[in-house]
Amino acid sequence: MNRHVSPENIQTMPTRLPAPMGSLINRQQPITFQFEGTNYHGVEGDTLASALIANGRYLLSRSFKYHRPRGPLTMAGQDANTLVQLPDEPNVLADTHPLSQGLAVTGQNYSGSLDHDSDMKLGKFSKFMPVGFYYRSFYKPKGAWKFWESLIRKKAGLGRYDLNATGSYHDKAYLFADVVVVGSGPAGLKAALTAAEGGAKVLLVEQQSQLGGALTYARFDDAGVRAGQVREALIPAVEAHANIHVLCKATCNGWFTDNFLPVIQGTRMYKVRAQECIVAAGAFDQPAIFRNNDLPGVMLASAAQRLIRHYAVRPGKRAVVLTGNDDGYLAALDLHEQGIEVAALVDMRAGPVDSRLTQAINQHGIPLHVEHTVFEALHDKTLHHVTGVDVRRITRRGEVADERLTLECDLLCMTAGYMPMYQLLCQAGGKLTYNDDAAEFSLSNLPKHLYVAGSVNGLHDLDQVLQDGVIAGTQALQSLALPAAEAAPLTGAPKQVNFPWPIFAHPKGKEFVDFDEDLQIRDIINATRHGYRDVQLVKRFSTVGMGPSQGRHSALPTARLVADATDRTVSETGVTTARPPFTAETLSHLAGRSFDPFRVTPLHQRHLQLGAKMMPAGDWQRPAFYPSATNGRLERDRCIQEEALHVREKVGLIDVSTLGGIEVRGPDAAEFVNRIYTFGFLKQPVGRTRYAAMANEQGVVVDDGVSCRLGENHFYVTATTSGLARVYQSMLQWNAQWRLDVDIANVTSAYAAVNVAGPLSRKVLEKVCTEVDLSPEAFPYLELREGKAGEAPARLLRVGFVGELGYELHVPSRYGEYLWDLLMKAGEEFGIRPFGVEAQRLLRLEKGHVIIGQDTDGMSHPAEIGMSWAVNRKKPFFVGRRAVDILDEQPAKRRLVGFRLPATSAKPLEGHLVLEGSDITGNVTSCEYSPSQDAIIGLAYAGADKATPGSHITIRVEGGDEVNAEVVKLPFYDANNSRQEM
Amino acid sequence: MATLEDTLTTKRTPLYHLHQANQPNATGWQHLGGYAIKAGQDETQVEPTTGAPACGLTDLSALARVGLRGKKAATILSENHYQLPAAPNQALRQEDGSLVAKLSASEYLLLGSFADDGERISRDELAWQAAERAHRLPDAYLLPRQDTHAWLALTGAHASDVMAKLCGVDLSPKAFAPGHVAQTSVARANAIIINASQADLSCLYLLVDSASACYFWPILLDAMQEFEGKELSIMALRHHHPA
Repeated sequence: MNRHVSPENIQTMPTRLPAPMGSLINRQQPITFQFEGTNYHGVEGDTLASALIANGRYLLSRSFKYHRPRGPLTMAGQDANTLVQLPDEPNVLADTHPLSQGLAVTGQNYSGSLDHDSDMKLGKFSKFMPVGFYYRSFYKPKGAWKFWESLIRKKAGLGRYDLNATGSYHDKAYLFADVVVVGSGPAGLKAALTAAEGGAKVLLVEQQSQLGGALTYARFDDAGVRAGQVREALIPAVEAHANIHVLCKATCNGWFTDNFLPVIQGTRMYKVRAQECIVAAGAFDQPAIFRNNDLPGVMLASAAQRLIRHYAVRPGKRAVVLTGNDDGYLAALDLHEQGIEVAALVDMRAGPVDSRLTQAINQHGIPLHVEHTVFEALHDKTLHHVTGVDVRRITRRGEVADERLTLECDLLCMTAGYMPMYQLLCQAGGKLTYNDDAAEFSLSNLPKHLYVAGSVNGLHDLDQVLQDGVIAGTQALQSLALPAAEAAPLTGAPKQVNFPWPIFAHPKGKEFVDFDEDLQIRDIINATRHGYRDVQLVKRFSTVGMGPSQGRHSALPTARLVADATDRTVSETGVTTARPPFTAETLSHLAGRSFDPFRVTPLHQRHLQLGAKMMPAGDWQRPAFYPSATNGRLERDRCIQEEALHVREKVGLIDVSTLGGIEVRGPDAAEFVNRIYTFGFLKQPVGRTRYAAMANEQGVVVDDGVSCRLGENHFYVTATTSGLARVYQSMLQWNAQWRLDVDIANVTSAYAAVNVAGPLSRKVLEKVCTEVDLSPEAFPYLELREGKAGEAPARLLRVGFVGELGYELHVPSRYGEYLWDLLMKAGEEFGIRPFGVEAQRLLRLEKGHVIIGQDTDGMSHPAEIGMSWAVNRKKPFFVGRRAVDILDEQPAKRRLVGFRLPATSAKPLEGHLVLEGSDITGNVTSCEYSPSQDAIIGLAYAGADKATPGSHITIRVEGGDEVNAEVVKLPFYDANNSRQEM
Repeated sequence: MATLEDTLTTKRTPLYHLHQANQPNATGWQHLGGYAIKAGQDETQVEPTTGAPACGLTDLSALARVGLRGKKAATILSENHYQLPAAPNQALRQEDGSLVAKLSASEYLLLGSFADDGERISRDELAWQAAERAHRLPDAYLLPRQDTHAWLALTGAHASDVMAKLCGVDLSPKAFAPGHVAQTSVARANAIIINASQADLSCLYLLVDSASACYFWPILLDAMQEFEGKELSIMALRHHHPA
């Protein structure tokens, strides 16, 4: 898509209303952009929609179902009528999206062109597509859905996602405040100032790009001066206040317990934590429901006022204003003042509450029709714009006389009342109650530390709104125990702003209750006739309120219609549940900047320098294998086998720094270790190591390691790489109960550790650990020593995990790289080579050693995995003892067995099933080709009756084939352990 | 400026290779506490008008640090002339510039001073290690913080703003005053945060798992970008943060 605007075919620069209109625009900075292939002019500060309307372009989108032409309704991002397609982003709200140079935009959801959408003919069949017809139409006859599905899928959805789009940078940040104020209208400004002046740290969140809310676009008096006066009194004071942090263009998108608020601003989501929260979010201007109330050029009165005051855009040339409150009179005065001919002010009531307004209207020569309504908005055959209105006298609630007055106009402004911005408050548990006298919802039952102020609180008189802000700010201060002067209570009666029944059904329909979903009056009523009496069911059946505007304009008329159709009160009917988010949010906002912690050992750089293939192990990065010694490639099987053979024949070096390391020190250290692990440790000699298996209270083996007794009261125990956190936590938890006199310290990161393994390992170490007698007699298998490796203090452990003569060296991590280099250099003459985790797994498999977590699962107890030898039955207690005893007395159901297959057999993979007939009796846990055995060897769970060496088990391998493996006695290699004990 | 070869010893800080990769010049290295550290281009990273470092991140891992806990930990520290914070999660600057943080009722973290290149802490640790081996350190247990934790310093007026992008604790000066300690999660990994601000320099110390240091460093630099944050050498920080 062309993002650049070509100079040809640029419309002439449209004229704007004179200042002070246009508070958001900079007339000196022209911008050219493109919409539907035509080039237009705008100015800096414009939204896409304001610039297009300035150019006379009202048709911005097509409706979801009937593809009706749509133009801006609210000019505040509160409706779906302005959804457009950017090159890399669908469903962008044109009435809030800032204009930028070269922006290339198209409409969406049409066939042909936005102006000539062939799918508009669907509207002619609307009678045949009532709500719920999807659910009832396409499943019969059997198989019909397959036909319809492809057609419906083509029509479904809005906009196109650019699959080649690159993600932009999004992140999250916390914000902390004593008081957060949502909304910066008169109530919000006053509340923020009151709280800030009392010493509270205030965060003021405003969805628009300037402070002031309705003060920036609405008119509050016939002279039209009050809003400006209040703005000038409050906004500079707020902006200058050191205690107030203002966030504009920011949307508070939800309310969560304890005033945890997600606030989206640009590409960032703030996670706001506030002690007190004041919602002063205002109220939604409500449309009237009449035929063709969705035509471009029909908009809320507030939208026209926003166009005038924010963007200096004349919303039309000849206007009709339909109103149910005094604000329509003020809007008519605004239009008239800006040179827009007001053909009529149509008041659904008997007249204004403030009689001065009638006088003002008459003074300006604006024709006034009281107790009348617009019964239909008229149009030409394209439906591209309103061309006039059919005005009728109201005879009864929702009914009109036959006599009609037709007026030509290109702008129809409507204001039928207000709906409080209830979403955040209902998310907090607030309850909406309908007041029949005021024909308005009000909120109650708010949790502590949450306050409401202004028109969202049902107040519409400016003085009352301002005072309500003071009251809310004072309440917040009192809750914070900050000094606060007593706020004066509200005086006077609330102003009536809602017309009770601004709904006029037309015999030909098309009176839209929900613009997003093209739902008409009859759709809502029909839903109730289908038996969906509950408003929640009406919502789900009809989809009312489920579109992008989330019922902001449909909730009130729907509640009224459902109440009327089901003979209940509006309070009884209520509105549907409001859930976060308040407005659409992108997945990138939710994801933010991702944090994926990883850990590397002190030897990490050496592995990279050697070209190792790295693999994750828990949150660690470990070398899986190194490039082949024969061809230098990273070929898994070849590399593993080469490395394993090298350890068997010569000497290898592996980084085992990721092993967990825990120091247990203190007078009760031996008792503690003895209770935690299954083996006996009270009599473990100083200077010796001992295998240590850990069970949980259910008797399941959950970890293992080596217990090294460094002193009478000092143990150093290792844990598996991925099990360390759980082991450490478990130790702390147990000792919180036992209260033994020990100190338990996780020192995993404090040590770099390597295993030097292979028949030549002693020779290598003799060159490095010159102060330690490494002879078999002085330092036999399972012993440990403390000494030095070169200059580094080291703990040396004689271990046999891989089944060869081997030493683990643990040195402070600062010396890790030094130790590695020292060993590699010392081992040069013996052909030392590094080996990775995969070779180590093969080597231990040959020795039949179990890896906890790989060869065990959440049910494995010691006897099942052949580890009864690691359980001390003489000691009175260890964690899991009772469960282990009980399990041992149960008939064995399965055993972990070693199996062997010919080298030419299909190789089972970990997880492959062990079968007995059609029954699954177990699964393969480890399997690899063993070069030393020239066979495929593995471990698997099998029925207990198959545990005897010589038995055979059936394993289902890839492709569903089955192989018959021989059960063999473990280990596969060096049964008498002569190699590791040499 | 010395070369890396001149300064390289048997010891490495957790971020040594990262610094080495970012310092293509052979020179610009020097010794600290037995480690080779990057000396850096100090003048360019200090705001000339205020004299205070801009939003900066410094690797202090070469400076000495050690932990001590147990029933007698406080007594031992007092006997060695350390002044102790009154309550857990507080830190107290010592006269020599070193810092003692109290992490729990009986656990202390000692951080070395620029003034003596951490010499005092190193010396005391060696003495305590010897005492521990000789069983002369009853009811007190040394914790090898030099090896378990990397030590980073986040400086400048935006330090708490940077941390707000990574950590759910309010670290603004009003809520987290100098001497406060938080043991919490930063960017989904554990960290000890100490407000070590002095005079005109805001400074947060971060003690993070040494194995995770390579994770934290770029995460912090990224969070600092909107504040024009930069890596700051120890030398530059030392100049403005003499302790």
